[in-house]
Amino acid sequence: MGNSSVQPVMPRSWRVDTKPHKFCPGCGHPLILKCLGQAIDELGIQDRVVFGCDIGCSLLSWDFFDLDTVQTHHGRTTPVMTGIKRARPGLICIAYMGDGGGYSIGVQHLVSAAARGEKITAVLANNTQYAMTGGQMAPTTLPGQKTETTPYGRDPETTGFPLPGQDMVSSVAGEGAYVARGSIANPRQLKSFLKKALENQMSEKGFSFIEALSACPTNWRTNASETWDFVERKMPAYFKAGEIKVPAGGQGEVQKDG
Amino acid sequence: MPLEFKPKTQELDSSFFTIFPGLCKGCGLCIEKCPKKCIVWSNTLGVYGTPSVEADDDCIGCGICQNICPDCAINIEKKVKH
Repeated sequence: MGNSSVQPVMPRSWRVDTKPHKFCPGCGHPLILKCLGQAIDELGIQDRVVFGCDIGCSLLSWDFFDLDTVQTHHGRTTPVMTGIKRARPGLICIAYMGDGGGYSIGVQHLVSAAARGEKITAVLANNTQYAMTGGQMAPTTLPGQKTETTPYGRDPETTGFPLPGQDMVSSVAGEGAYVARGSIANPRQLKSFLKKALENQMSEKGFSFIEALSACPTNWRTNASETWDFVERKMPAYFKAGEIKVPAGGQGEVQKDG
Repeated sequence: MPLEFKPKTQELDSSFFTIFPGLCKGCGLCIEKCPKKCIVWSNTLGVYGTPSVEADDDCIGCGICQNICPDCAINIEKKVKH
């Protein structure tokens, strides 16, 4: 009750001694990882989760959790976690990547794993550009958005429209796949999606893939109100939140909004 | 070995608002998300030397700032009405 023993409310699966973490102020990654940590806590699976992170800003999560963590080559998180899952089927494997790792260099692995129906969970943070290298244009950059390599805004005539990665994965994924998109603007919904994705893996139904709309105030050069405006209004115009594909039998145990 | 963070607690009309300056990076996401717009910049500096935040008595203890903080730097305890 308001005394000096008050401590921060962090998920149990977080490593407290590595906090404050390495992400920039206002970054979306820790919010996604907070939802993921809460989902792991609620399912009580901390002792058998393997967490794989990609290269890019997502690698800064290598000491984020009190979980077995492996940092892989760029875009190769999905196959590494696939290998671990095949060798030790009792483990729960989470491949964590950014949109650069998942939708450009690692897209073949993501799509192939979805097509094979690997029983792993892939979590992708979409912040519409390559943040760690200074904010270059990514497949997910919105039309008209200014980045380092599109200083006059992305022109769909020459560079195309944002990649609909969720549709790509869900169209090749098999019957038991779970594909959904959440946003850091709605952490409760994002947490319920992550929980369902992990349950999908635990019940060995098939591949599960969650895309989370994330924020990058550093490279967007936005203040807090512009950051929320971008995440809540501009990004959903191209990236609709919701469940794109659910397993045929349904899941039932988890409520829709947390 | 659990690490201790130094809290700075304000007792408000309806809640205890605790900020951990050793975690706050001064992003300001909580200021924008607060439904009562009762969070403002404070003179206490956060971990990167940027201002941290404080609340005023308009706070209703809803806890949105605690949920939305990427650094878990805010702890809200709502006062129980008797």
